Amino acid sequence: MPGIEYLLEALTPFNIMLALCGVIAGTVIGSLPGLTATMAVAVLVPITFSMPPASALILMGAIYTGAIYGGAYAAILLNTPGTPSAIATTFDGFPMAKKGDGDLAVTLACLASVTGGLVGAAFLLGLAPPLAKVALAFGPVEYFWLAVFGLTLISALSEGNLLKGLIGACFGLLLSSIGIAEISADVRFTFGSHVLLGGIETVSALIGLYCVPVLIDLVATPDKHLKVTHQPKGFRLLESLRISWKYKINLIRSSVIGTLVGILPGAGGSIAGLVAYSEARRVSKRTEHFGTGEPEGVQATESANNATVGGGFIPTLVLGIPGTPPDAVILGALLIQGVRTGPNLFTQEGSIVYTFIYGLFLATILMLPVGLVIGRYAYKIIITVPKAMLVPTVAFMTMIGTYSIRNSVSDVIIMITLGVIGWILNRVGYSPSPIVLGLILGRIAEQGFVQAWTIGAATEDLTGMFFGRPISLAIIAFIGLSLFYPLIRSRWIGRRRKVRAD
Amino acid sequence: MQTDQTEKVVRRDVGGMVTAAVFILMAVVALWDTTNMVDADSFVFPRAVAIAMIIFCMLLIVWGLIRPDLGNGEVSAPGASTVRRVSLVAAMIVSTAAMPWLGFLVSGFAAFVSIMFIAMYDQWTSFRKLVYPLVCAAFVVGFYFLFAELLLVPLPVGSLFE
Repeated sequence: MPGIEYLLEALTPFNIMLALCGVIAGTVIGSLPGLTATMAVAVLVPITFSMPPASALILMGAIYTGAIYGGAYAAILLNTPGTPSAIATTFDGFPMAKKGDGDLAVTLACLASVTGGLVGAAFLLGLAPPLAKVALAFGPVEYFWLAVFGLTLISALSEGNLLKGLIGACFGLLLSSIGIAEISADVRFTFGSHVLLGGIETVSALIGLYCVPVLIDLVATPDKHLKVTHQPKGFRLLESLRISWKYKINLIRSSVIGTLVGILPGAGGSIAGLVAYSEARRVSKRTEHFGTGEPEGVQATESANNATVGGGFIPTLVLGIPGTPPDAVILGALLIQGVRTGPNLFTQEGSIVYTFIYGLFLATILMLPVGLVIGRYAYKIIITVPKAMLVPTVAFMTMIGTYSIRNSVSDVIIMITLGVIGWILNRVGYSPSPIVLGLILGRIAEQGFVQAWTIGAATEDLTGMFFGRPISLAIIAFIGLSLFYPLIRSRWIGRRRKVRAD
Repeated sequence: MQTDQTEKVVRRDVGGMVTAAVFILMAVVALWDTTNMVDADSFVFPRAVAIAMIIFCMLLIVWGLIRPDLGNGEVSAPGASTVRRVSLVAAMIVSTAAMPWLGFLVSGFAAFVSIMFIAMYDQWTSFRKLVYPLVCAAFVVGFYFLFAELLLVPLPVGSLFE
């Protein structure tokens, strides 16, 4: 275990101030729909150039962890994931807010994010070099199966109509293939339009499919946006702590899933959140409550996506391969600072790495008070601001947020159009979540599938390529469990009841 | 009660089936578009997805015809205003489309004010008449400054003002 001197180095007033400012800035930026954690880190990177490397890393880590957590506010209070990592937070967070428990959901999300962040940082501190090998063990076919695993969530998100969920997912998958194909560079489904060459931007689509339908319904009636069943009772911290303790296994499991998915280059917080949500739902005794405002769902996603911060740093620092998109920005900043990442970083430049890891712990802990305070005010604002101010504010934020992703007016038009399509589809029973799932996982699934297919065809072992690798088989087993476990479980419970009755 | 139940039994998910037919059309167009692609890497995946989509949609339509369904779409709140819904979408699209000419500041302010009017259900008191437009202006200018000056996002200035 690295020495106490690094901990003391991380706890200098300057580093504490950086961690605090980073968490605040990250949380605020992450809470705005359209501004992702990657953007938050990228925008604030130039500030770090004049700092010592460890302090620069602490600031960037704090911004990153704050931004991932900040995404939960919009997900819970507006049904709009502030960042893609918070997609699965909308599944139960927004229903909780609709039921009048928005404040509880925000505090639960904060506690889960802190737990996830600490678990991810602990893995980074203790197990970074051996875990980095996991990143190298994942080939294209494993990514394909991981994306398929994410897609199995469709059965859970289809709200009683699996066929409509599957059709929605196919629609999302087709949307994901618009533009220039990543492997062959063929132009697909643009029908001569230059606007579609760059494809459908994922975050814009998320904003459109989740947020615009809420705005369309919000403006149609004079009713309040969120039901308020009680006067705001502060943070509801004790209640949240009780719930968190009750579902501690879920928290720990989701945090570990988040860390492991974070280690995989390119997977990121959205997949971590979806996989953790899927597992939490499968294992829970309250499976049928998921999607209707189940605290376990919020906990699973938020702990997993914040755990990807520590997890993502493992391949970044040990192998020089960024685990998540913000890690790529941070890696670039480190290279500018003259820090050479690689297996020797932990032994030769321990003072930088370990000071940073302790700084990450510090930033994660600071996220608790910062997150609680900002979350409380965010909730208060959402429930007290008059509708005539709330609707234009949110609409304006979706427009400027979408524009800023690629500086494109067309993206804003696409976002609004997708929102209208999402609203219409919702009316006829097609939930937006399978579409989003298809859109996000489509690119990963296609890339993995085509690469694995090419390798398999070249080695004349397609079956072995797809079904012969141990990690693939483990993921396939989880896919099977995810799909059939509810059926097996209900039959098992039915049989047990029958035996008892006899 | 009895009548209500009978009505539910005979109801078909017409919206769901019509949408499925539209999706079939979309998948057919996608399949047709893949015939222009030369590299198998480009068309294998979307073609497989389009075929799966057609199969699922056909199953949904057949299922809807042989087994009347209640559908599971969201139901509008009683008295919900379609005019306001359409106006909101129109305000967002028109102001966005006008951005290259009017610039972000002007079109953003126009969008904000028009959506504020669309979402207004309370009475326009003197206080609101004074404060709301000021809040609109402060918000739009504040966000413009945040994005254009601090986050260095090149927001459109507008060809009319160049």
